[in-house]
Amino acid sequence: MESDELRELLNSYDDSIYPEGFLAEYTPMECLSDRNGICTLLVQDRSGESFIAKCCDKALWSVVSGGGILNGLEHSGLPKQIASYENDNMTVTVREYIDGVPLSRYAAENRLSQQEAVGICVQLCDILACLHHRERAIIHRDIKPQNVIIRPDGSAALIDFDIARVYRSGGDTDTTFFGTPDYAPPEQYGFSQTDTRTDIYSLGILLRWLLTGSTKEDSRIRIYSPLAKIIGKCTSFAPKDRFSDVSQVKRALLRADPKARGLRSAALILCALLLIGALCCGGVQLYRHMTYTPFTADTIPAYMSDEERVADAVEYMREKYGTNMFDDTEGIASVGDLRAALIELYGLDRDYVYGINMDIPRESDEFFLPWGWDDVQTVHRDVAVYAAVKVHDPSIVADWSSLKDDDGYYPGVRVAVAFAEDCGITEGANQPRDITLGELALILANADRVFDAAEAK
Amino acid sequence: MKENSTGASTQELWARLFRAATADCFLAENGSAAELPAFSDYITEICEAKGEKPERVIKRGDIESSYGHRLFAGGRSPSRDTVLKLAFGLELDTDGTQQLLKVARKAELHPRVKRDAVVAFYLHRHKSVTDLQQALLENRLPLLGGGKNGE
Repeated sequence: MESDELRELLNSYDDSIYPEGFLAEYTPMECLSDRNGICTLLVQDRSGESFIAKCCDKALWSVVSGGGILNGLEHSGLPKQIASYENDNMTVTVREYIDGVPLSRYAAENRLSQQEAVGICVQLCDILACLHHRERAIIHRDIKPQNVIIRPDGSAALIDFDIARVYRSGGDTDTTFFGTPDYAPPEQYGFSQTDTRTDIYSLGILLRWLLTGSTKEDSRIRIYSPLAKIIGKCTSFAPKDRFSDVSQVKRALLRADPKARGLRSAALILCALLLIGALCCGGVQLYRHMTYTPFTADTIPAYMSDEERVADAVEYMREKYGTNMFDDTEGIASVGDLRAALIELYGLDRDYVYGINMDIPRESDEFFLPWGWDDVQTVHRDVAVYAAVKVHDPSIVADWSSLKDDDGYYPGVRVAVAFAEDCGITEGANQPRDITLGELALILANADRVFDAAEAK
Repeated sequence: MKENSTGASTQELWARLFRAATADCFLAENGSAAELPAFSDYITEICEAKGEKPERVIKRGDIESSYGHRLFAGGRSPSRDTVLKLAFGLELDTDGTQQLLKVARKAELHPRVKRDAVVAFYLHRHKSVTDLQQALLENRLPLLGGGKNGE
């Protein structure tokens, strides 16, 4: 009895409505939707693998384009075309089953961040670019959350090409409304022919929905300004006011993505820092180049007390010149001692060293010291420094161009001291007046070291 | 189907099995998916209303025990075939099964699908899962839980 009733039920199914071969390969498992003359079935092949089969009633879909529209299209965000079957009444297209969750459910179950919403739309831009950038653009015409599948790995795929059409250049208007009202642009109601900007409109609505939960503009909900501008441009009433290409939408989204903006700002700051660093390094190098001097304190012994410096200098002078004249390190040095050193150690002409200037102090080939001093006079540190520098390079003390004023001191001494302080010749010589023989040896030895090293460079 | 893709004779037979004859009607009568309760809460409530224990439901539905308990605990999202097995375990009628599928966010039984018709027939007759599997086997239709996607 029961089996008879079941048999009667099953016999009521006329398998011959399906194109030949389809049911031999696939078994319908679920009906996912059945409307507008298109039945979408989840089918299973003999191995148990799932596929999607679109069964289109030819009486309603005389020019149905969904059937083979994906032929030849290869994109991870599009279902692969597996097979197609056809008879007088029906076209069946079998496509890859994309495992995942519809965006409508995914967004409801997960609190999507702004970045995630933008990321999904960027992926959709890539998918749409694959469709739009064909010789004859394919327009999906039904972009909505239910037709976007989010895979377990987070990647998006676009499904349901039931009402997709190939753009016919020069076509007039779409005479039949297809699509989903909230996501459909005005031209889809017959204002003009749909083109790729139709999908851009729907994409803008989709982005608004992802960000606000509503397809309608709501002044109470603030959208991040750059994204609001993109939505506004995508959803302009007139297609000419929209983005003309999804690539433009993608670029705009990437620019507007708060995360990308943050990264871009960080990159800009990094570039700025690198530029500043480069300028600084370059500046330092340039400064060094412009201010290069071979005279450095590198050869002046470091980490010594003043007493150790004096002892070291006396030893240095003894070794270099074979002189004992500085052995009495505590003895007060006289102008005569300085002159003796200039003549005996540095080989200057005696007349030149003893030449007396009777005029105002000045540089001259006739006298080494620009003052008319006696040998018995004590020596100021700055005078010793002047002599120690001049004995190596008279031009240094003769060039007064660096001086900005006249403070009453002899300019030759001022430039000599400035030079000596810069390159460490005065290191350890702290007594301004009545310097000792040890300090005189120190100043002379330091100057020797600096000039010898400069000459070596 | 005899008259057209969803022939009238099938609809008549189907109408005997379902008070709400199509999925669209069912949806219209039962509100939006956003208002649906959690699946685990829903099956627990049915058990309590029927004075049933989950163990008996799981056994009657021929569901592996630990997996069945995880469904009641809310730890797993079931496949459509498992939801149908649970419907047999809960001894639901066809309308109750449609609601259960809806709560599980799965495609409801549809007159266009021959396998669904067999499932609905056995639900309507309050038969066991074993009887259903036998009928599916005899009619060369995939068994519940027999596909690659079944648990």
